[in-house]
Amino acid sequence: MVYTKKSPALLIIGVMMLLWGWLNASGSIDGTQKWLQKSAYSDHMKVKEKYDAELRVATEMAQTEGKPAPEMKMPKSKFDDAKAKQAQLAYIFGGIATLLGLLIMAWKPKEGNLDYYLSIFPGMAFILSIAFIVRWGLDPMFGNWGKAAQDTLGFDFAKIFNLNYVVLGIVIGIVIVNVFKIPAWAANGVRTARFFLKTGVILLGALYSATELAQLGGLSVVMIGIFVLGSVWVVLIMGKRMQAGNSMTAVLSAGMGVCGVSATVAASPVVNAKAGEIAYTIGTILIWGVGCMFIFPTIGHLFNMGPVQFGAWAGTGILNSAQVAGAALAFDPHGIETLKVAEIFNITRVLFLPIIVLWLAAWYVKHEESAEKVDLGKVLIAKFPLFVIGFILLFILSTLGAFTPAGHYQGKYFSAEQIKEDKQLKGKETRAIEGELARLKEADGAKALQDHFVAKAIVIGKHKATPEDAHKALADLIANKKMTTRDQDSLLSATAKLEGLDAVAKSAIEKASKAAWHSSKAISAFRDWLAWLFSFGLIGLGMQITMAALKQAGGKPLIIGGIVGTGKALGSLIVVLLFVKEFI
Amino acid sequence: MTPPLKLLLCHHGTLGAQAAAAYALEVAVPGVTTLVHCLVVPELWAGMQGDDWLNNASTRDAFGDYVENMLENDARRELAGVEARCKERGIAFEAVMRLGDPAEVVLAVAAETGADLVVIGPPRRKGEEGLRSRMEMEKLVRGLRCPLLVAPRT
Repeated sequence: MVYTKKSPALLIIGVMMLLWGWLNASGSIDGTQKWLQKSAYSDHMKVKEKYDAELRVATEMAQTEGKPAPEMKMPKSKFDDAKAKQAQLAYIFGGIATLLGLLIMAWKPKEGNLDYYLSIFPGMAFILSIAFIVRWGLDPMFGNWGKAAQDTLGFDFAKIFNLNYVVLGIVIGIVIVNVFKIPAWAANGVRTARFFLKTGVILLGALYSATELAQLGGLSVVMIGIFVLGSVWVVLIMGKRMQAGNSMTAVLSAGMGVCGVSATVAASPVVNAKAGEIAYTIGTILIWGVGCMFIFPTIGHLFNMGPVQFGAWAGTGILNSAQVAGAALAFDPHGIETLKVAEIFNITRVLFLPIIVLWLAAWYVKHEESAEKVDLGKVLIAKFPLFVIGFILLFILSTLGAFTPAGHYQGKYFSAEQIKEDKQLKGKETRAIEGELARLKEADGAKALQDHFVAKAIVIGKHKATPEDAHKALADLIANKKMTTRDQDSLLSATAKLEGLDAVAKSAIEKASKAAWHSSKAISAFRDWLAWLFSFGLIGLGMQITMAALKQAGGKPLIIGGIVGTGKALGSLIVVLLFVKEFI
Repeated sequence: MTPPLKLLLCHHGTLGAQAAAAYALEVAVPGVTTLVHCLVVPELWAGMQGDDWLNNASTRDAFGDYVENMLENDARRELAGVEARCKERGIAFEAVMRLGDPAEVVLAVAAETGADLVVIGPPRRKGEEGLRSRMEMEKLVRGLRCPLLVAPRT
């Protein structure tokens, strides 16, 4: 079979991307970009004002000294960076798409690997072009409209209804597949969405600290354990009472309990589910998932939830795993903290999946006389999610310092060696610290420091911090004009919060601390790519949600699903609000 | 009424379809009519993996194979049932099985086989159990070039 469809679509998409890159690079659409990127443009105006003022002063000084006007380059603003980034991405992907588009037009496809792999690019470019439109166009556009309508409506509709690039991308995906149908030339590439979502989760592994992973892992095992096992058990009981049939009850409990459609797909063959039962279950789960993806973020904002609370709630309460990621990004589209929490819950769910499938297989064999026995070992191996190994591997590599010095926290790490000279303390600052050091060495100062450390429970290494530790750390800071160790940084950061400390000394300590912490370029790039990978993946998954499948929701699965789904969402909301605190 | 030479029976195992089969067998004349059994597998199955992304490829393939085999076995059982009843009455039998939109498939098969009569079951009542894959009557009636017989509800 030949997979590549001879179509100019990829070439056209490539040329359009290149054109967008050129329009940005040449400044031809600065007017549109000014409107779209209002905050970046306001930064641009500030940078320009500062530059104009500096240039004027430098020119006047040069004139008084009889020298020629100096040549100064305006520093880049956020607006310039945003445009440059759009141009760069559009050039790279537009270039690749154009070349491959030309190849498709010139080449006569023959069966083989080249044909197979070439056939996925038009669909990938199709999704990517939608991701560009949504992230660079619709997201800021709705943001602006939301703010503009705030005075009239009394609320920001874009924020309340989460009309950001994630939700808009999924909605566009759903509209395309149901209204226009996915074009034949794009069908193969659209299927790669799952691969990119999994790649995103694997990359996410690099962004967790060991403490974070342990805390989130523990929380997710408890929450998922209670709610997954609880809902599987409730569905099994309700199914029996409502005489829904053993295979229907088993497949529905997997879908309702673990990870929605994924669990239904995994469990159906094991419990011999019938065609109608699969259709009812998947329809019910999809309709719930899509509904929850829109409702959860709004409720999360209304309850003023933080990333841990919302991630934990969405990760437990939303039936379908794709919508968990969607809701987390919809809630917090420009950060990844909520996504980090939600994905730990997704991973815990998928690790629970083989166990639940085994439980249901055993339950089915016990209740159905005609059921064949299942090879438990085979089921465990077949259902194990390999991408979780990739996630763990990236976490280990990152913790060991493969991308950034070991011991980093969210991509930030301490390094005294990398502090630039212009970031070191100046004479006025060290003198202010000297003055404070002398004061803190006196009896009153030392006592105030001692009380402060006790109140804040400051520990350095394995012992409680003492005023002598702080004196030495301050003396070292004066001598070196910079922080030299992490312990010194922790101790002095705590000292800077001492009430009554001289403002200049306080600000100097904070400046020295800030200068010692650096952002990892690799981790920053990971964060950036993650947003694109999830955006791409979720648009592609939106294209898999058909109205034909949604319409199958009905019968007993809808009744049982409605009760269990609502119970799970409300129960997990109450637990999260009462017991889960923010800790990342 | 002249007996049909090619009678297209749309049948996929529902109660309505069984009524259609009984009616078609009454209308068909042994030695004259060839009964073409058209079985449509609704295209909703193409999207039945939904937005699953957590499973590995082997689990998804296992699910795809499982559903495909199940649908195929169900379809073969239906086809064999109608074929056996045709054989009993000496009516020539042909079978066509396709994935797609019910009305579009019937229109296409009717044109391909040169059917001079199409027999379908009564449309399901609202709320009646079954997959949500209805025959779009308007599309069918507007597109057909031969008479359409809707079997009465039993």
